[in-house]
Amino acid sequence: MNAALVFARKEALEIVRTWRIWVLPAIILFFAITAPLLARFTPEIVGAVAGDQLGGISLPPGTSLDSYGQWIKNLSQITLFALIIIYGGIISAETSSGTAILVLTKPMSRTAFVVVKAVIHSVFLAVLAVVGALVTWALTAAVFGSAAPGPVWSSTLVWLVLGVFYIALMTFFSALIPSAAGAAGAGMGAFVLLAIAALWKPLSDHSPAGLAGQAAALAAGKAVPDLLWPVLVSLAAAVGLIVAAALLFRRKEL
Amino acid sequence: MSAAVRATGLTKSYGKKVVLDSLDLEVEEGSIFGFLGPNGAGKTTTLRLTTGLARATTGSIEVLGHDAQAAGNAIRSAIGFLPDVPAFYEWMTAPEFLFFVGGLFGMARTTLHERTDMLLDLAGLTDVTTKIGGYSRGMKQRLGIAQALINAPRLLLLDEPTSALDPMGRKDVLDMVASLRGRTTVFFSTHILSDVERVCDTVAILDTGRLVAHAPIDELKARYGKEKVVVEVTDHADDLAKAFGERPWATAVARGALGSIEITVTDLGAAQHDIPAIVAARGSGLARLEAGEISLEEVFVELVGGER
Repeated sequence: MNAALVFARKEALEIVRTWRIWVLPAIILFFAITAPLLARFTPEIVGAVAGDQLGGISLPPGTSLDSYGQWIKNLSQITLFALIIIYGGIISAETSSGTAILVLTKPMSRTAFVVVKAVIHSVFLAVLAVVGALVTWALTAAVFGSAAPGPVWSSTLVWLVLGVFYIALMTFFSALIPSAAGAAGAGMGAFVLLAIAALWKPLSDHSPAGLAGQAAALAAGKAVPDLLWPVLVSLAAAVGLIVAAALLFRRKEL
Repeated sequence: MSAAVRATGLTKSYGKKVVLDSLDLEVEEGSIFGFLGPNGAGKTTTLRLTTGLARATTGSIEVLGHDAQAAGNAIRSAIGFLPDVPAFYEWMTAPEFLFFVGGLFGMARTTLHERTDMLLDLAGLTDVTTKIGGYSRGMKQRLGIAQALINAPRLLLLDEPTSALDPMGRKDVLDMVASLRGRTTVFFSTHILSDVERVCDTVAILDTGRLVAHAPIDELKARYGKEKVVVEVTDHADDLAKAFGERPWATAVARGALGSIEITVTDLGAAQHDIPAIVAARGSGLARLEAGEISLEEVFVELVGGER
């Protein structure tokens, strides 16, 4: 079997047999389950907590689109933070622990080492996003009686592009910065910069900066006509970051 | 015979700190090569350059006829490497890890099964079912040696392979290394001199990044060792040690175990002739007079320990 495939199998097994199988899936499933419930019961909860303080204002009942909005909002904030922290050590954890030395003195190229990690963890994220969307969709249908599939799937897929971009970004930072915490810090900095960049419409419309907002718009059932540009630019940027990470890692001394 | 490893003017520096200084080294194919040096001498750096994990500042290193800095898989498919502190995926078991590294070499499943069983037996890990995370340092070291041998390498690079092993483990590893003589080139970095004396044909001694000796062990002892005489007397040992030290054939005198006097000599015949007379003249009795061969340890201390 090709060395890259053997290493890919190792990465997949590592996900299944270590803490990785619990943390990200737990976060995503938690949001998938709570989004429909929060959307359904938030008006009642707010009404019960506020009592007469709302002064006769009645909150509109929740809808299936509120459920999808809650799901995408949580993915775009807390889940992205989790991704940044979890993948701060995607490369450096192996170089600092020394496991990379035993692998990279075998017929396994450094480029394959980097690319395989980014691909396997992107696939893992895709599986989690699909399962999460499925749970959100099913629970939304159960809670609200009906749930249109379009908004939840389209918004989740757009978010997945953003998630893959962040995995590529963290792969790059982790190849660049020897410490996982340092790479996570750089990832947080990039998150803030992208959030600020999203305020400028031309950049928001043509880069990953706008993807979170576009996913939220799709989840709300709105049309997003120019989605192709930011999606393509984000995917191209992800590929560019992985290539840059591989080039950096090839020059790195272990 | 061709060289398995050939370093030419190999230099590695980090900023202004030179850790390896114009190293010229040749390791013959099929030999068991002992690479000696005190901590910080540059042994691990040399191995990192040999395996392509680091890049030379200047100079070059060829491994099995390929440039180690550029050849990639051509070298990696023919070597086995054990780092000084091997790190493993702790969630794997030993057979899983050996299957994994064997898979990286593209080994066929049946061959891999045979090699895994044989190497687990060699490492004394056949009946160990726990995950590697629960292993002792010695068990990890033995697994490290097993993984380095999975591809039956042409060149085996071992960085301090016996440092974490108990006496039986050390013996097993040294026996295994000795059994590879003539079939595999073994490049063996260590600071345990008795291990080198036991299995190596040729030795290089490195000190603060510079090569201070490179020769077959016997030649090295003959070149640097001179000879040694061990004397035991009945009385006045301190006076006699001083008297021996004043003779022209004595280059060094030291007190050994149980009051013996160890004299490094340039002319063994003259020493054997003079010593009984000196002992008799001081009114002492000669209990033992033995001409001994200088050990590699003494050569090592003479070469690198003088100013420490």
